[in-house]
Amino acid sequence: MLERLPYLAAIALVGIGLAVLVDDEHLVKKVLGLNVFQTGIFLFFVTAAAREGGSAPNVAKAGPYANPLPQVLILTAIVVGVSVTAVALALLVRIHAEYGTLREDAVRAAIEEGRE
Amino acid sequence: MSLLPVAVVVAPAAAVLAILYFRDRPNVREAWTFAAALATLGATGWLARVVLAGARPEAVAGTYVADVELSLRADPMGAMFALLAATLWLVTSVYSVGYMRGHDEVSQGRYFAAFAASIAATMGVALAANLLTLFVCYELLTVATYPLVVHSESDEARAAGRTYLLYTLGGGVALLAGLSLVYVAAGTLSFVPGGVGGLAADPLLARAAFGLLVAGFGVKTALVPLHTWLPAAMVAPTPVSGLLHAVAVVKSGAFGLGRVVTHVYGPETVADLGLSLPLSTLAAVTMLYAGVVALRQTRIKRALAYSTVSQLAYIALGFGLAERTAVFGALLHVPAHAFMKISLFFVAGLLYVESGVTDVDDMDGLGRRHPVAMAAFAVTAAGLAGFPLVAGFVSKWYLLVGSLRADAIGFAAALLAAGVLKLLLFWPMIRAAFFRGDPLASGPARDEAGRTAADGGAPDGESSASTAGSSLSDRAGARAWEAPSRVWRESAPALLVPVVAVALGAIVLGLVPDRLPLFDLATEAVAEVFG
Amino acid sequence: MIDPALLVAVPLAGSALPAVASRLRPRTGWPLALGVLLVQSVLAVWVAAAALAGDPVRTQVAGIPAPFGIGLLVDALSAPFVVLIALAALAVLAYTRRGGPRSGAFYSLYLLLIGGLTGVCVTTDVFNLYVFLEISGLASYGMVAQADRGAAALAALKYLLVGTVGASLYLFGVGYAYVATGTLDMAALRAALPAASDPLALAALGLMVLGLSVKVALFPLHTWKPDAYEAAPPGVAALLAALASTVAAYALGRLLLAVFPGVAEAVVDAALLGLAAASIVAGSLLAYRSESVARLLAYSSLAQFGIVVVGFVVATPTAIAGSVVHLIGHAVMKAGSFLVVGLLARTHDVRTVAEYAGLARRSPYVSAGFAVLALGLIGIPPTVGFAGKFYIALGAIEAGSWTAAALVLASTLFGLVYLGRVLERMYVGEGDTHAGPTGAASPGMYAAVAVAVLATLALGGVGPLVEGWLAPVLDGLDAGLAMGVVP
Repeated sequence: MLERLPYLAAIALVGIGLAVLVDDEHLVKKVLGLNVFQTGIFLFFVTAAAREGGSAPNVAKAGPYANPLPQVLILTAIVVGVSVTAVALALLVRIHAEYGTLREDAVRAAIEEGRE
Repeated sequence: MSLLPVAVVVAPAAAVLAILYFRDRPNVREAWTFAAALATLGATGWLARVVLAGARPEAVAGTYVADVELSLRADPMGAMFALLAATLWLVTSVYSVGYMRGHDEVSQGRYFAAFAASIAATMGVALAANLLTLFVCYELLTVATYPLVVHSESDEARAAGRTYLLYTLGGGVALLAGLSLVYVAAGTLSFVPGGVGGLAADPLLARAAFGLLVAGFGVKTALVPLHTWLPAAMVAPTPVSGLLHAVAVVKSGAFGLGRVVTHVYGPETVADLGLSLPLSTLAAVTMLYAGVVALRQTRIKRALAYSTVSQLAYIALGFGLAERTAVFGALLHVPAHAFMKISLFFVAGLLYVESGVTDVDDMDGLGRRHPVAMAAFAVTAAGLAGFPLVAGFVSKWYLLVGSLRADAIGFAAALLAAGVLKLLLFWPMIRAAFFRGDPLASGPARDEAGRTAADGGAPDGESSASTAGSSLSDRAGARAWEAPSRVWRESAPALLVPVVAVALGAIVLGLVPDRLPLFDLATEAVAEVFG
Repeated sequence: MIDPALLVAVPLAGSALPAVASRLRPRTGWPLALGVLLVQSVLAVWVAAAALAGDPVRTQVAGIPAPFGIGLLVDALSAPFVVLIALAALAVLAYTRRGGPRSGAFYSLYLLLIGGLTGVCVTTDVFNLYVFLEISGLASYGMVAQADRGAAALAALKYLLVGTVGASLYLFGVGYAYVATGTLDMAALRAALPAASDPLALAALGLMVLGLSVKVALFPLHTWKPDAYEAAPPGVAALLAALASTVAAYALGRLLLAVFPGVAEAVVDAALLGLAAASIVAGSLLAYRSESVARLLAYSSLAQFGIVVVGFVVATPTAIAGSVVHLIGHAVMKAGSFLVVGLLARTHDVRTVAEYAGLARRSPYVSAGFAVLALGLIGIPPTVGFAGKFYIALGAIEAGSWTAAALVLASTLFGLVYLGRVLERMYVGEGDTHAGPTGAASPGMYAAVAVAVLATLALGGVGPLVEGWLAPVLDGLDAGLAMGVVP
């Protein structure tokens, strides 16, 4: 049970992230939700790489090692995630400058008003 | 590889671009229409000669989808249809110019361009070498005729246009499904006289495909219950109703049915699979139903449209019986009905342009106002009812003999009953035109120009239709039309000459059918299919 | 032989140029982007020609062999898309010179997008595919936000949120695949997956398919699409309509054909067919109810991609050829339609179906072009729109999938209903026929539209060619050979 705990945590993070993303009207919280969601997936990868009693894959030392490949992948994925967050925040700055609010319903109302 | 079938299709297609380019210069524009019509007729005539001499000119444009080529091949059946359409296009072009100008219609450039495009697509249907090429042209025909249906841009026309597209493209979908099944079952879509063979291997699949193909072609053939688009499409200008909705479009459907029976399945397979009886029954029901509904129409053009539905069912019945003589009769009925119905439509359009008449009830006394036109109407109507010496008699005779040879007494009776229905439809019109409305009793006063002094009975919409020098009826009071001062003055020549020409054509078809290339081509076609 | 890695490297490296150069000298972004894309197009056509003529072109990045290294491959399945991306990018670039955003940053994003999309098409590594998917995603979020209106920022954010969730779900699936097999190379996965434990392989397949379905925008995972396409600058909408979902659908097809055969086919096929059916029906319905023409076209994409997915699910050689033809054809037609929408918004200030009334008289040539594109989208022969649908329907009938065949055939009528509405307004609607033009359009804009219209007609007969190209590749896949190995 205990070794499954990280998997459960990953699933929980994915669920929490998605719930916030879908449910919250505040755009910043949506972006936060997205980050939590992605973190859950990263945790899943890293967990898959772990090995009981394994150490960091330094070939100079004796094994067993944790699998390095998923960790490398997740390093890339984190970079991607950071970029996405940066773009999202830039968009949020622009939305705030334009409408003075970051609540989705308020922004939509403002857009509808502008259209009429 | 021969360029002749290509020329037949390209001649009208090329005119589309020229007409659109010169859309604002009426005389140049119409010159292109006539040039293209003459070129098409010339090429088709030559093609018919070549085909009668035994050649089968073929042109392949390359593989289109799967292993099927986009190709044209002229055989007797196709050449016959092409020749018919080319001949009537020339006549209709003259009439169109008279009608559209006499009527000051809008968007004439679009009208003539779409007309030429429709003819090009019809030629493609006629000369298609396989079911897929035919399908492509059949769909293009739908697209090309849509602008003609919605020509007036009124709400009624737009609604009719929507109905038209939904029915015909819906038919296209059924057709595509059917031909896909045929392709999967037989591995080919080529037209082979007497059938491609191998279709009976999976009877269920073959029957389903046949049903889909009949539904697909049945829409344009206006088989009940797929017919309602046709009366609705009568909002189109009359030359369109005449050439396209009595000849090119609807007969593309009937022609397609014929191709399926004779060149895809083959008469034997149709009979073996038990497909003959359902198709014939559907045709017979359509024949009688439309004949009855036609009697209840108040608009002349709608009555003619239902009569077309009924007449097309004759052709479908002939193919459905899949018997040599019946198929021959069906083939002959294609030109016969074309000539007769187009002349009826031309007269209807002439009455509308010159006298503002659109309703059956307003035909009283028209025989005096338009003696030549109404005479043509009477003669061709008689032909439709099946009187001898006019085109309709010959083809119906073969159909009747064919159904008797196929031991289908019931269908023979239906044919005769439908003839009686035609008589009931047209006799009141002819009687009203010639024997009603006393010119002496309460005749309206005439001014010096021979114009009837209207006393306010005519609706606005129709008064705009009358052109200078012609009269308008007084609906409320007098039913009397003054006789024109001279016979040829009853109408603009551009309207009357085509009427006379097609009516004479119908009579020639009735008197000496076997002297015409159309008859020879039909004979050849039947010989090819039945061996 | 040139390295396929250049196809990706050239636009990615080149993407730095416009942003930097336009700081030094204004208005240098466009010519630099043009230069880079011309080089990339020449490379793309060259590599594709080599791949189609003979054996697939492949390379291992940094020389590390599979299954550890990242492989790049241009075979008959990816070659058409590589060329499509390069040429569509050029055509839309001609439009944006006058019509699109002109900042240097925009052209940097443009090149980034092209590099990312090309990467998705050529990679044989499922994780690498995720990276390229996100590169192209990031670029497209930024490009949508380039429009002046504030609504564009919100639409871009929504696109970003949904798009990232889709990509992350895909990544989740990649994780399962890795746990199940220990490899990320497509060919190695193909060999190892059927032997892996069922739940893991199924989870990998399900999550990857789900993630890509978001990117393809199948109903009900489509919500980002209409907002993004409506708010984006017209050139961006055209480029994304041509390429974004197309490349995602290609990736979906590639996975289904080359990675997952033998894994829970019945379940996933049924689910995908359901999604596709829902897309065709709901997309058409939503398109019919749209007032804005741009939204209508965006919803129409749902339906069209539904048809493509049907082809990949049926997966007979005929149906696959149909899906490829329909993807290419739809890209051309939809991009052309969006360009027309942008052009008309510029010249006549019209955006809704109602405002389009009577346009055919005011702008006859552009209207005629739109009519051809719309007829193509409906599926009238002899356009490319018909060819794709017919192949897919034929494939479905061959495979005995009667529902799929009926759905594809019926989609023609749905298309008629929602696009016929626009055409009817344009040609016979009562509109203000005397209003003059309100803005000018450049020759480049007209040229881009003309190219799309001509391609819609010219590609109509491309089916047999594509079928011929694909045959050896598909034979190889059927024989269980690794991807890109021709028997």
